[in-house]
Amino acid sequence: MKKVICSLLLLFLYCGNAFGQQSAEALIAESAAFLDEFFKNRFDIRVAVIRFENDSELSDTAMQKIYQMLVSRLENGKNILVSDLLVNFADGRGEFNLSRVDDLHYLLDLKLIQNKSKTGLGLTIFSRLQDKIVAVKYFEEALSKGEMELLNARNFAFSELGFSKLLEFESKKNLMDIQSITGDDGQEQYFFYYPDEIVVYLAREMRLEKSFQIKLEWTRPVYPVLHYEGKLLLLPTGQGLVLTAGNNFSPAAKVMAFHDGQWQEIQKIDFVPCKYLILNQNPYLVGGRYEEGRNYFKDKIYFMPFSDPANRSGIYEKKITPAMALDFSIREGQLQGVHLIDRSYNYHLFTSEFEEKIPSPEKRGASLAALGGEWLAVSDYSRTSDQLFFYDIQNGGQRPVYTGKISGEIQFVSAGVWQKIRGFWTGVWQKRGDPERFVVQFWGKRNG
Amino acid sequence: MAKGKWLLLPLALTLIFAIKPYYGGEINIRLNEPASFNLNTANYSNLIFYSLIYENFFYLKKDGEIFSNVFQEYRYIAASKTLNLILKDNLSFSDGKPLTSKNIQVSLKIFMGLDLFAASKLNKTVKNIRASDNQVGIELLADTPDILSLLTAPELVVLAENEQSFSGLFYPQEWEKNHHLMLKANPFYAGGRSYLDKIRITFAENPLPDIFLSNPNQFKDNFREFDSGIYQNIYLCFLQGDIGQNTKIALFTLLKRFNEATGFKYRELHTLTADEESPVSIRIKTLSPQKTASILKSSDIKLYILASLSNLEKDLTAFLKSSNFKIETLFIDDSQFMAFLNSAAIQYVLIDKIFQKKVPAEEKISRILKESSFNQFNARTLRMLSELDEVKFSNSQELLMEQIARISEAIINDGFIFPLFQKNYSLYISKEWPALEIDYYGRPLLQKTGKNND
Repeated sequence: MKKVICSLLLLFLYCGNAFGQQSAEALIAESAAFLDEFFKNRFDIRVAVIRFENDSELSDTAMQKIYQMLVSRLENGKNILVSDLLVNFADGRGEFNLSRVDDLHYLLDLKLIQNKSKTGLGLTIFSRLQDKIVAVKYFEEALSKGEMELLNARNFAFSELGFSKLLEFESKKNLMDIQSITGDDGQEQYFFYYPDEIVVYLAREMRLEKSFQIKLEWTRPVYPVLHYEGKLLLLPTGQGLVLTAGNNFSPAAKVMAFHDGQWQEIQKIDFVPCKYLILNQNPYLVGGRYEEGRNYFKDKIYFMPFSDPANRSGIYEKKITPAMALDFSIREGQLQGVHLIDRSYNYHLFTSEFEEKIPSPEKRGASLAALGGEWLAVSDYSRTSDQLFFYDIQNGGQRPVYTGKISGEIQFVSAGVWQKIRGFWTGVWQKRGDPERFVVQFWGKRNG
Repeated sequence: MAKGKWLLLPLALTLIFAIKPYYGGEINIRLNEPASFNLNTANYSNLIFYSLIYENFFYLKKDGEIFSNVFQEYRYIAASKTLNLILKDNLSFSDGKPLTSKNIQVSLKIFMGLDLFAASKLNKTVKNIRASDNQVGIELLADTPDILSLLTAPELVVLAENEQSFSGLFYPQEWEKNHHLMLKANPFYAGGRSYLDKIRITFAENPLPDIFLSNPNQFKDNFREFDSGIYQNIYLCFLQGDIGQNTKIALFTLLKRFNEATGFKYRELHTLTADEESPVSIRIKTLSPQKTASILKSSDIKLYILASLSNLEKDLTAFLKSSNFKIETLFIDDSQFMAFLNSAAIQYVLIDKIFQKKVPAEEKISRILKESSFNQFNARTLRMLSELDEVKFSNSQELLMEQIARISEAIINDGFIFPLFQKNYSLYISKEWPALEIDYYGRPLLQKTGKNND
């Protein structure tokens, strides 16, 4: 088959240093350098901050930034394995998940102190093996009023350390989802899901080259929509690669497999698969069902055994809240939590047992995605200046760590990989320009 | 307190615009009660109502752009003088039955049979209509590259074979006669389901609905006001040939004085359509109060008034009573009027016509000739109509204006219809529905109207 090669122009975006916070960064750099030096002749050292107190004028938000900057620096150390146990900051104290302390070699105790015009960081290193404090160090820097205000501001964008926009390019409109898979030759294939086709691209350095496309034929009933929504799922099975494609305009999702040199529909299922997971050692597809022609999921989640792609018996369901956005955090194949934004734009988290945790009082913009069991990205509840919030969900909590400004309206967010970096794809509708354009962005952590 | 308000303002501004639109909710519109669900766009109220349940082939935006929700592609091929319309895939009517090229073909033929200028012009342009698979080919008699503009008429809609199937944004769900009509969102609407779930159409004056028509410059606090693009003309008609010219002028003068006495609620009208668009302005000289009194004092006049002008009843009756003339006012329902005309010797009648500003003047003149000449419709009227039709196709604006002027002068000079007043209407839309807009023809566009999320 002759390949149709079509290149998409990718715009690699440079994110400059966050300026205005040099003193705070210097404080962190000194602390990190001290820790590097302290651990330099040790290998595979498991370290975590287990206490962080604040006696300075800085806010909880600023503490969180400083903590995140320090952890990000330490993560770059080759001989240090840093566990991020922070659950939350409140009332000048960090709340840490101490259930995993037994696995650690060293524990770090941090304290922020205000010393006249300077801000100090006290650092204590405790060795669990020796059961004693092995180092105490104090660093201080003069933080200007402006820098303090900047740190205290609700902005987590430390681009060099956290999530930043690594890629941006234009796409045709109505793109609903992006998924990728590593081919047998080690090359990454990217599947772009549009209402009438799936276009598959291959990554060539910083470009995407169109490899082939799969035309999607939908049959009645079809519910025309104002806003296309859909989920694509790629499943490497014993019988080869299988994909599922569901949406809000057809009540039946397609299950397709690669047979005899072409993609063929092998069955239809009446919900939209979002994730593949293991329950009681059995593989399952899990997903929801859109209200036909509308932009939200109904109030049920469906689990379908998926050992045989052609078999769709044994489906069972769980009741939840109707959801503008829905995703599942999965760790080592196991369901960790269900994340959703309800029709009042409030975020909800359900445990794997479908018990609801306390909903967030803040409204969100109704797009979200979970990256494994580690990160959650959620869009903002505003049209004029959209942004993406990134949360650390590793310890079952929901801790904001970064935000990224978006020019336009986020249409979808999905977890993915670009150039071996894990992160999030976003589809963004930019209406202000002439002509309007649909832009795809990839947000990831530069340091992996 | 004041500081708190300042802090709340930016917060409120960010909360108003949720990224994902909310689906659900209901809007209330006040319209006249329709006679049935069969398409009839004779007046503005109907034009709005039927636009909700029937889908147009093409829409004309205010900026002149033409678009369609039904066709994925439309292309005119000059070589074969054919306009090809390609239907979108998998379209259905409100009951889920397939919407096919055959439905398009039949709908187009039904439109071409209507007594409308746009329909008759299309009729004279089209040679043949073919339907196959998802395509309709409209073969023309002559090369007509602007054929698409003829297909933007609001009366050209997609009709189903079954009367219970609808192609529009909504479909009728419940009808309580004389009270309200409930429309439900069509899940198969070709342009994509509306954000709203329901529309409640009320026929009563109160309470104030979300959308309604009324006099300009009112309700400023809670409603946004739009130029509805329509006006109401009021005419005095003399249906019998034996009425003296003096009596006609005297009654005309009296009604002009009524407008003056009630604070000029209406604009003066000096032609059959609108003064702005008419090539002629006809001044009928009014009489002095003394002369009017001397002519009318011995008259015994029964003035019939269409029920659509019932808002005049209170003021006009009081005015005529105070003038001490023997003039009786009788309000008569529009639908009964024609039947009444044949059984009673009606001499004087006050009628109204509602027109859209966007409709060409020649179409309005034609409507007046057909609908308001009553028992004086004769061979001469028919000739004027056919002459107007001919001139319309001459594509000469000069000739067209000449013909409109000739007809206007003839009708008024013949003395069977005197233009009296004109009233403009505004369309009011509640501020609770900020995204609602209206189209070229003054119809509210409800597809992307959503409930305020907060």
